[in-house]
Amino acid sequence: MTNLLGRKSVPARLSRRNILSYSVTALLATTMIAGSTTSFAANVDLTKWSPEYVKSIAGTAEVDTAAECAKVVPSDYKGRLSYWWVGPTQAQPEIDHKMDAEFWAAWKKAYPNIETDAQSLDYNDMLNKVRTAALGNAAPMVAKFPILWGVEFAAKGQLKELKPEDVGYATDDFWPGAMKSVTYEGKTYGIPTNNETMGFIWNAKIFADAGLDPEKPPATWDDVVKYSKQIKDKLGINGYGLVARQNAGNTPFRFMPQLWAYGGGALDETSEQPTYKTVELNNAGSKAALQAAYDMYVRDKSVPASALTNTQNENQNPFIAGQLAMMIAHPAEYAKMVDLASKATGADKAAADAVVQNMRYGLLPEGPARRAVVFGGSNVHVFAPELVEGGLDVDAARAFICFSTGPEWSTKLAWVGSNPGHLDGFTTKWMKERLDTIKFLDVTTSMLPSGIPFPVIPEQAEIMNIIVPDMLQNALTGKMTVDQAADDAAQKVQELLDGM
Amino acid sequence: MTIHVAHRSGAMPAPNLRRKPNLFQRILLHWNDYTYIAPALIVMLLVIAFPIYYTVELSFFKTPANLSMDKKIFVGLDNYWAILTSKSFWNVTYNTLIWTVFSTFFAFVLGLGAALALNREFLGRGVLRAVLLVPYVISAVAASYVWKWLYHSDFGVIGALSVQFGFTDRPINFLDNIYTALPAIIVVNIWKEFSFAMIMLLAGLQTVPDQLLRAAQVDGANAWQRFWHVTMPHLKGVSMVTILLLLVTNLNSFIIPWIMTGGGPAGATDIWITQIYQMAFGRIRFGMASAYSVILFIVMMLLGYFYVKALTRGDEAKVE
Repeated sequence: MTNLLGRKSVPARLSRRNILSYSVTALLATTMIAGSTTSFAANVDLTKWSPEYVKSIAGTAEVDTAAECAKVVPSDYKGRLSYWWVGPTQAQPEIDHKMDAEFWAAWKKAYPNIETDAQSLDYNDMLNKVRTAALGNAAPMVAKFPILWGVEFAAKGQLKELKPEDVGYATDDFWPGAMKSVTYEGKTYGIPTNNETMGFIWNAKIFADAGLDPEKPPATWDDVVKYSKQIKDKLGINGYGLVARQNAGNTPFRFMPQLWAYGGGALDETSEQPTYKTVELNNAGSKAALQAAYDMYVRDKSVPASALTNTQNENQNPFIAGQLAMMIAHPAEYAKMVDLASKATGADKAAADAVVQNMRYGLLPEGPARRAVVFGGSNVHVFAPELVEGGLDVDAARAFICFSTGPEWSTKLAWVGSNPGHLDGFTTKWMKERLDTIKFLDVTTSMLPSGIPFPVIPEQAEIMNIIVPDMLQNALTGKMTVDQAADDAAQKVQELLDGM
Repeated sequence: MTIHVAHRSGAMPAPNLRRKPNLFQRILLHWNDYTYIAPALIVMLLVIAFPIYYTVELSFFKTPANLSMDKKIFVGLDNYWAILTSKSFWNVTYNTLIWTVFSTFFAFVLGLGAALALNREFLGRGVLRAVLLVPYVISAVAASYVWKWLYHSDFGVIGALSVQFGFTDRPINFLDNIYTALPAIIVVNIWKEFSFAMIMLLAGLQTVPDQLLRAAQVDGANAWQRFWHVTMPHLKGVSMVTILLLLVTNLNSFIIPWIMTGGGPAGATDIWITQIYQMAFGRIRFGMASAYSVILFIVMMLLGYFYVKALTRGDEAKVE
């Protein structure tokens, strides 16, 4: 594996591509030794993070991205860049398309001599396309991946080491959770572009009708169990929107926060320096979380009976119909509910509008151990030179990454559904504009310090999408007891780690 | 029947002393014929033979979770051993057998009933035939989603009706219960497939001679006797083919179980194909999934053998 400053070994025969690679690496080394960095720094205090703090720092700083990045790579640099990412789709709001167009115009203006080949790919196609391209030595120089994808390529040795310092930023400029997601076996292979976490939404009217405080979400996961039962008993409608479908990403995104809150874990991903070698799926915390899910589904029957076949999408309609009181939701869920209400007709529309009016966002409940949520987002990566079609232009890549991951564009490109990866993005005027125009953004943003990324190992897909939902289903269907289900899942993870 | 050949000379024919040309010689002898079919052969080798070869090859390897195929490890028959000795394999095999046998049997029986009904002249026969064909022409994906909502454990129409008519006090939990999920999706599969059996058997019914049926009637045979002793023997061939095709289709079924339950709850609807898919694309264990596929391939080849035998039975009889 190589890093941006050098190689481990020199092959006996030098190809033209190798020579190009060494030249740019040497150039980069010189650049790095010269110590040119941007003047951005993390002007935020993570210990004070709250909805009020987020609002107070927004709009307090000015940035000039082109000028700052020119200190890293001169703006008259002549080169070429290939870049793949999941661009805005027709389903996304107009503002996302506008920001995307503005970004490319600004990039062209800042670096007019870098010839850019940018390919926007469909989310469902991109992973396989990149896998194939990398195997065929036709990978792009730079790619932006959802947070969990990078580890596979890092493990295969297909990524170049890349850390914030390589493009003029500091590691402290990014969320610690985000930096964990780009770290594999102690080395850094990417830079976070945007990060988001989920929030907790509830219907205030249902809460009031059930005799609960309509403006206060459940403070703990034990409260969720209690509230869910109270709502079911008093109103006959489902309390909490449990999701436990097999092989569906929605399930771990909603169950792992509960598991972590009780002190559980798949591995040791909740620790400061995870090693991903200890299985924690059957510790006391994990079993307590599984028991809470069992209590809601089996004992109280206060969650949808269809939870075992539902994804989150199937919870949206009952919620907008006033038949579901609370659930874990994406920051963009409010926009989705507004959209659903706008499409309703007749009496349904009145009911849907009332639900939107009564919709509230809050922090995810705490557990005995912590408040936790899955840390989501995207990262940008650089492919190893030998895998890039036409060779890697390191400086073009650095210029682009500096430009796109800085405070300005990491904020603008994450306008509706996410947040800037660069912490200084929270201090910009654009963040203030977002907070002023996007309802509940301050609340969902406040969950970021509680974010925990899934284990950064290639086996995480099997653990999260198969083993964890299996564990839930085994317990909730009565096929196994809670203890047996947790032990069975832990054994499967251990076997997986042992390479069986 | 045996065929006796009389030789004019009355003597045994002289043995052919010329050796039969081997495969290579025969190819050389007919090189122009092979040239004509070469493009098709090459395409078939690429799109059929190579994937089969690669699947068999992968089944002897352990593939790493990061899909780094150059780092795959040769494990011999370990994948097969691991599969055949795992409890989940036998659970999945049990589900697959239940799914295949029940789907095939009931789709065939319903199809036969519908074919017999539609074989009679009555007003609106054309309309009814078109209506009964609808499940077959509807996309399996769309049908799965429609049935999923019909069965929905909280808001399903069937559950709501059962409560409304007082059969149950709360909606029936069809898909989220380990005991009812498999029967529920088998019903959907039967609904989807019976019209295929109906079309096949309706075609077969056209070959039953009318005069035989009338003769049986004159001889005093009742409706059941006419069906069992006249109609069914004529449907034997087409029934065999229909059943074999249904068996193969059901063993390969993926869409209905995957969309409706994803193999759940707790593996209650996991069948071979969903297990293979999950093994390959969920667990990223291509070696193990390939071994699973090879086992399924062998079963399918056996069924294919019987299918071809059933198809060519008439031809063999003619040769004799």
